[in-house]
Amino acid sequence: MKVSSESREFLENLRVYLLASGKYEGEIEEIVSELGDHLENAEKDGKDVTDIIGKTPKEYMGQLAGEMPFDLKGGLKFLPILMLGAFSYILMGDAIRGQLQYSLIDLIGYPAVFLMTLFLTALFYKYLASNKIPKLKQFIVFGIIAATPISLFIGVIYLDDWLGAPAIHFGPAAKGAAIFISLLMFIFIAIWSKSWVSIILPIVFFLPEVLIGFTDYQENTKLMLSVTIVPLCIGIYLLSVLRMEKKKEKSS
Amino acid sequence: MSSSQMLKGILEGCLLSIISKGETYGYEMTEKLNAYGFTMVSEGSIYPLLLRMKKEGLVTAVQKELPSGGPKRKYYSLTEKGEEELENFKDRWKAISTSVNHLLKGDDLR
Repeated sequence: MKVSSESREFLENLRVYLLASGKYEGEIEEIVSELGDHLENAEKDGKDVTDIIGKTPKEYMGQLAGEMPFDLKGGLKFLPILMLGAFSYILMGDAIRGQLQYSLIDLIGYPAVFLMTLFLTALFYKYLASNKIPKLKQFIVFGIIAATPISLFIGVIYLDDWLGAPAIHFGPAAKGAAIFISLLMFIFIAIWSKSWVSIILPIVFFLPEVLIGFTDYQENTKLMLSVTIVPLCIGIYLLSVLRMEKKKEKSS
Repeated sequence: MSSSQMLKGILEGCLLSIISKGETYGYEMTEKLNAYGFTMVSEGSIYPLLLRMKKEGLVTAVQKELPSGGPKRKYYSLTEKGEEELENFKDRWKAISTSVNHLLKGDDLR
């Protein structure tokens, strides 16, 4: 498809908007390629995106989305797996730190926070894809979205403390089992999603901590080390992902 | 009913008529619309309509490879239900346009 950068941006945003609205992936690709075909022809005749969509991108995207059914089955398949991934992640972290105890509040609170975060993220992507937003504002909104689950998780922990809800404790045997189950989950998700992310992320987050735990350094030194090394690993990982994406873009 | 909704209904009828002339794709439809003077609607507004018409079973769509070997293009054709809907639209339109024309011309009723 040979279209101008404005058209490509519009098509890319449309795809994100429809994905975040939970539409069928096949139908999304269909409409995006159909509009791409239209834009290509229109540009040859000297028209541009604004001539085509008429209204604001937001209105136009909303109109298209309104005519497309919600992919409930896809969502139902995707959601539990995402949830399992998130819980394996929490489980592994807690097992490594030896804090395997959960109360009823945790068991209800964590999924609730998770669902809310997912919903907020989808809303954020829709908003971002359908509006022209200055970089600074994007940053602020993103900060709020990122801070919400963290503060909600802290809220759950405090509520838990305050209510003193009875918690189920797990012994050392359960710790090994928890780590093993989490590992299996990560591998399963990696195969299911055909991507390494679900394996790389836990490595980046947990491996330095585990390794540091094996050393003979003082507790304070250990803490300092993990506080500096973990963000460093995350940074390196994100940078390399970015670089790979850029390379892919160039070659395509 | 807002004026844009009325326009949508009319545009849908016109699309049915264009597609009834033979298999066609989005850009060709807008070219025909423009040729008939439909400049009050933006070209993109046919796509939400086409999505709905397909959902309602008035049209079917197939992806076809272009002879030039480029990306696939989506071609629409009318279903039987679409043909019926087109006839309905023609009747409705005839009735509406006749009365509106009479009214605007101020024909004497008696």
